[in-house]
Amino acid sequence: MFGLAKGHPLVNGPLIVQSDKTLLLEVDHDRADACRRAIAPFAELERAPEHIHTYRVTPLGLWNARAAGHDAEQVVDALVEFSRYPVPHALLVDVAETMARYGRLTLSKHPVHGLVLTSTDRPVLEEILRSKKVQPLVGTRIDPDTVAVHPSERGQIKQTLLKLGWPAEDLAGYVDGEAHKIDLCEDGWALRPYQRQAVEGFWHGGSGVVVLPCGAGKTLVGAGAMAEAKATTLILVTNTVSARQWKHELVKRTSLTEDEIGEYSGTKKEIRPVTIATYQVLTTRRKGVYPHLELFDSRDWGLILYDEVHLLPAPVFKFTADLQARRRLGLTATLVREDGRESDVFSLIGPKRFDAPWKEIEAQGYIAPADCVEVRVNLTDSERLAYATAEAEEKYRFCATTATKRKVTEALVRKHQGQQTLVIGQYIDQLDELGEHLDAPVIKGETTNAQREKLFDAFRQGEISVLVVSKVANFSIDLPEATVAIQVSGTFGSRQEEAQRLGRVLRPKADGHEARFYSVVARDTIDQDFAAHRQRFLAEQGYAYRILDADAVLAEE
Amino acid sequence: MSTPDAPRSLAEALRASDDAAMVALLRTRPDLLTPVPNDLTQLATRAGTRASVVRALERLDRFTQQVAEALAVAREPATYAEVLGLLAGDDGEGADAAEVRDAFDHALATLRGQALVWGGDDRLRLVRTARELLAPTPQRPSPTGLGPTVAEAMAGMSPGRVQSLVAAAGLAATHDAVSAVEALTGLFTDRKRMAALLDEAPTESVEILSRLVWGPPYGQVTAEPAAHLRWLIDRGLLLPTAPGTVVLPREAALHLRGGRAHRVLEAAAPPVRAAREHRPQVVDATAAGQAHMALATVEELLKDWDEGGPAVLRAGGLSVRDLKRTAVALDVPEPQAAFWVELAYAAGLLAADGETDERYAATPAYDTWQELPAAERWARLATAWLTATRTAGLVGGRDSKDRTLSALGPGLDRAAAPEIRHRVLHLLADLPEGSAPAPDSLSARLRWERPPGAGASDLRSRLAGWTLDEAELLGVTGRGALSSHARALLAGGPEQLPPPLRGGSPVHPPAHPGPQGGPGADGARPGPQGGPGAGQAEAARLLAPLLPDPLDHVLLQADLTAVAPGPLQRPLADALTVLADVESKGGATVYRFTPGSVRRALDAGQTASDLHAFLAAHSRTPVPQPLTYLIDDVARKHGHLRIGAASAYVRCDDEGVLNEILADKRAQGLRLRRLAPTVLATQADPAALLDGLRSLGFAPSAESAEGDVLITRAHSHRTPPRTAPEPVPDGPPLPDTTLIDAAVRAIRAGDLASTTPRKTTTPTTGELPRTTPAETLATMQAAVMTGEALWIGYVNAEGAASQRVIAPVRVEGGFVTAYDHTADEVRTYPLHRVTGVAELADE
Repeated sequence: MFGLAKGHPLVNGPLIVQSDKTLLLEVDHDRADACRRAIAPFAELERAPEHIHTYRVTPLGLWNARAAGHDAEQVVDALVEFSRYPVPHALLVDVAETMARYGRLTLSKHPVHGLVLTSTDRPVLEEILRSKKVQPLVGTRIDPDTVAVHPSERGQIKQTLLKLGWPAEDLAGYVDGEAHKIDLCEDGWALRPYQRQAVEGFWHGGSGVVVLPCGAGKTLVGAGAMAEAKATTLILVTNTVSARQWKHELVKRTSLTEDEIGEYSGTKKEIRPVTIATYQVLTTRRKGVYPHLELFDSRDWGLILYDEVHLLPAPVFKFTADLQARRRLGLTATLVREDGRESDVFSLIGPKRFDAPWKEIEAQGYIAPADCVEVRVNLTDSERLAYATAEAEEKYRFCATTATKRKVTEALVRKHQGQQTLVIGQYIDQLDELGEHLDAPVIKGETTNAQREKLFDAFRQGEISVLVVSKVANFSIDLPEATVAIQVSGTFGSRQEEAQRLGRVLRPKADGHEARFYSVVARDTIDQDFAAHRQRFLAEQGYAYRILDADAVLAEE
Repeated sequence: MSTPDAPRSLAEALRASDDAAMVALLRTRPDLLTPVPNDLTQLATRAGTRASVVRALERLDRFTQQVAEALAVAREPATYAEVLGLLAGDDGEGADAAEVRDAFDHALATLRGQALVWGGDDRLRLVRTARELLAPTPQRPSPTGLGPTVAEAMAGMSPGRVQSLVAAAGLAATHDAVSAVEALTGLFTDRKRMAALLDEAPTESVEILSRLVWGPPYGQVTAEPAAHLRWLIDRGLLLPTAPGTVVLPREAALHLRGGRAHRVLEAAAPPVRAAREHRPQVVDATAAGQAHMALATVEELLKDWDEGGPAVLRAGGLSVRDLKRTAVALDVPEPQAAFWVELAYAAGLLAADGETDERYAATPAYDTWQELPAAERWARLATAWLTATRTAGLVGGRDSKDRTLSALGPGLDRAAAPEIRHRVLHLLADLPEGSAPAPDSLSARLRWERPPGAGASDLRSRLAGWTLDEAELLGVTGRGALSSHARALLAGGPEQLPPPLRGGSPVHPPAHPGPQGGPGADGARPGPQGGPGAGQAEAARLLAPLLPDPLDHVLLQADLTAVAPGPLQRPLADALTVLADVESKGGATVYRFTPGSVRRALDAGQTASDLHAFLAAHSRTPVPQPLTYLIDDVARKHGHLRIGAASAYVRCDDEGVLNEILADKRAQGLRLRRLAPTVLATQADPAALLDGLRSLGFAPSAESAEGDVLITRAHSHRTPPRTAPEPVPDGPPLPDTTLIDAAVRAIRAGDLASTTPRKTTTPTTGELPRTTPAETLATMQAAVMTGEALWIGYVNAEGAASQRVIAPVRVEGGFVTAYDHTADEVRTYPLHRVTGVAELADE
């Protein structure tokens, strides 16, 4: 039953299967790469620190593997083949049972009744039809094995069935959308190998999410997907600056011209063959309705692109459920959502189609290596006293913005004089004060878009070497020459924000030197706890933080 | 059993049998031995008591039971050919006939060996009690679905009715009721004439017969039956038993069945099918992996309970909450947690400590056990599991009084458990290596070997299911197939445990000491017959190379985790468990370092430099900078604050810290006040204070009265020496060979004494007959069989003695029911009032 070719496979494999269904992969093992390829289709890479990578086997992952054409025997074979110790029988049984649940229900197009849900296993159909959550989504029972589904509920029912543990196989297909010619103009550049793999992975699977580190060129993956679809495209981005950058990049990299690309934001309402809209405008509510959601229906879109899909707001989620017949591509650096709605992303946009460990792309030279340093700042006695007496909700703000941090930040900026440096923070007061002391411009929410672009431009040109930014700069702003980032405060323990901020300095440097990411943290306070939590994602991606005492930094001067 | 003179009673049949047969009888029916009978008459009497017969019948396999059932519906005495005919049918199946005959011979030998059947092949007799139990009565339909014989059904019928029946059946008229019944019986048993009779039957009548033929044979009729019913009733094919009820007589049913007593004859044991085949290496490796898990789980359980386990409930056992907590700690479902707890208990590794505030804790045997090599540890556990009567599967269920059965509590002993475990594993062992059985075929086989009686049936199949589950958990099986180390374990033990000593009506006190003395001090009980030592050693030898070697290193990573890519050597594992939290278990262990865990290590008396040295020594990879920093950072603050035990103080060289504490609103609950610039005092309990300050984010350490830092790690908690629980069979223990041999000799001697021919003391008139109670009973039973009248002496309730002539009908439960010729009615006499009995002189 098991292909046990080389020697005794139960000894000395690179994989260890744990009872909590995590898989530990020893990276330095000879067969580690073969093993990684074998388990990647069904296991999620959870942590990738230096020696042992952790994968997790989840029902979702197993179902995605089924959807991609893998069967339970392959999964079992992979586990048994590479496992160092015998794999618990119960786990193998569980894998087989979980995978067998997929495909009992299928969504398909019926020539007469439209969208229908069919089952090969009548009791399963009976079970799910008894669920209160499914009842409003289905129509009449056509025959004992088939029930009609309202076409508008295609996403909703898939999501609900997934939660009930009976994922439906969606065979209803995609509409092609309105054709529009889009080609990549690969003059003097080409898609990187992993970008090409990502585009192929997406196109083959139909819909899904591509996970790539910041700075690894997600925009190009989007452009590649558009060139495959050759259809009208709706691109959803986080903000206006980001929208302009998408437009700029698309004009530069594809056959599209300025006139073919429209911007749909707070200021402009253009609808063109390729339209870039912001989440913000889509989720604007007037009198209880979302007036701009009709954008989704305004054209026969062939492809919908979600930038920074981990930030997808709830109303857009809801609307995405209705777009199941269109191809959807999500782009993100981390699928970590602080609200834990990762599974909604999977069920509504699609499974993860491509994922590469950050360190692997760094090794290929496409993103810069980074040195992450946490600088621990001691509070002065009076600050500690004030901290101890502060109200609970004020505590974080207090320790995150202490005056001592400012001194250390200044010292760090001085240390990296002449390098393009970003100072990133959460609290405007703190940023203003820092801007004043560092004699650097501050970009925050109230800064106009024109002003922002002007400052960014100056920063790019090297006219300004230090820029103080609030969280508005977290996403999608291209700052190619930032080599040093200093984080003074953040949105509590957001892992995803930390990853985004590190991404600001990961774009490859012209001279190939290392990027620096400093995180200034107040010792023995909740700031330190939050920092530990924020760093966890990056530590698990292999970005280990060194920890320095502030005194050491100050003493260097 | 080939005596020239046919035996006239069971006692005579026994007398004729050889010692080996007697030994075999006493071995299969050990209840006959308590107390040792005086002679063979007594032995035969006891073998005929209802409780003992019920017990013996219950323990027969399906086919042997079918043979007994066939005997019960056959003529008495029956011939070999008659009984075989009832089993195989008139035609006797072609290909299977030889097979059935072999099985029949075997079953008959079994029944004779168990003293349930006696007599030669031409005069087979089922013991009367067994016949009563198995023969159909209106209250208790027979498993064969047959009704009473024509003779039984027609007893008491009016002569006129008998005549009309005979006439309707087309038989010669006779005035004698007995010969009329004989004629009718003759007709029904004559296949040709019967076929001719039925050919004339209306279709609806045939339809009625076909509904009754396989039983139940009783039907309801109205006062004015329809024509087709009338037709049957007129011809005696349906005989009235009570107003409105008719029965299909046995002879007629047998004709319709083609002479078969059973619809489906289960002559051969259903084979256990292999559902899947694995390579034996895969099976062994999987089982070994599971064995490793089992050891780790038991150790983890006891480590969890090391500093004082959960409290013992007043009624005994573990509370539901504690079981839940244990399940969470072990990261297993609750039923599994119950299994591990019970396993550790059965192996003598944990027990109640017997103190006033009683708690569960590890026994000293646990410490000894821990020192053993892993494979031997497993062998001890597996042996304890095999022989234990405690049944973890019952935990969470309810007993007959609707009380919840709790783990480690009372009411979990099931005498059948060890026998079923052995049986299941032996059946697995009979499959080719690496084959996993199809569960339904396994349970079909077990049902055949011991057909479920009323009531207890469910338990046996549940026990078998639990056995399979537990065997997999314990690593006895891997992927459902028996592993080679378990095979060795079984081979070293007894081939077969005694038949389970279970039964509805125990004749003997159920509480017997176990078959063996107390367990050794090491806590693992030697199995019955003392044999498994060799099996254990062999199992351990086979298992040892399959278990992973303990490692002496871990891999440290910058995300503050340590991964042990296999089991760790014990001192390393212990130290690491203190220094880091376990995040994931399995083949490997993932540890995570947190400030809390590092503080715990410092609290346990380690210094920062100890920890650095420890990590450097055991890490295969360089110690990551964040980890080094974490340890230094925690150590820097550790012990910074010191707290007194004398109700209680905080002192700190840093006034600022104390200011900070005092200023903190959250510290108000601790009611601290400043004692000196560097000391705070409080009325709070030092432990609460410690916790309070820690929750404020400080790292205080406790201080003794002398100002030394107190090491706060608790000591391991142990019970006094404890023995493992004995298996509790609910019947008499299996007698050993010496005892049985001695018993056989004693019975023979006693029998010789009582049966030596002596001058028969014919009772002279006027004198009460005097016999021993055993003789009285034997004579009564013989009389029941022969239908003879007896002369008895009887003392009534007032003490008045009298003599009576009675014809015993039934002897049961200490009473004899008899037709009293003196009083001319049926009466019941208590046997103990019968002073003596004598056969009547031939008239």
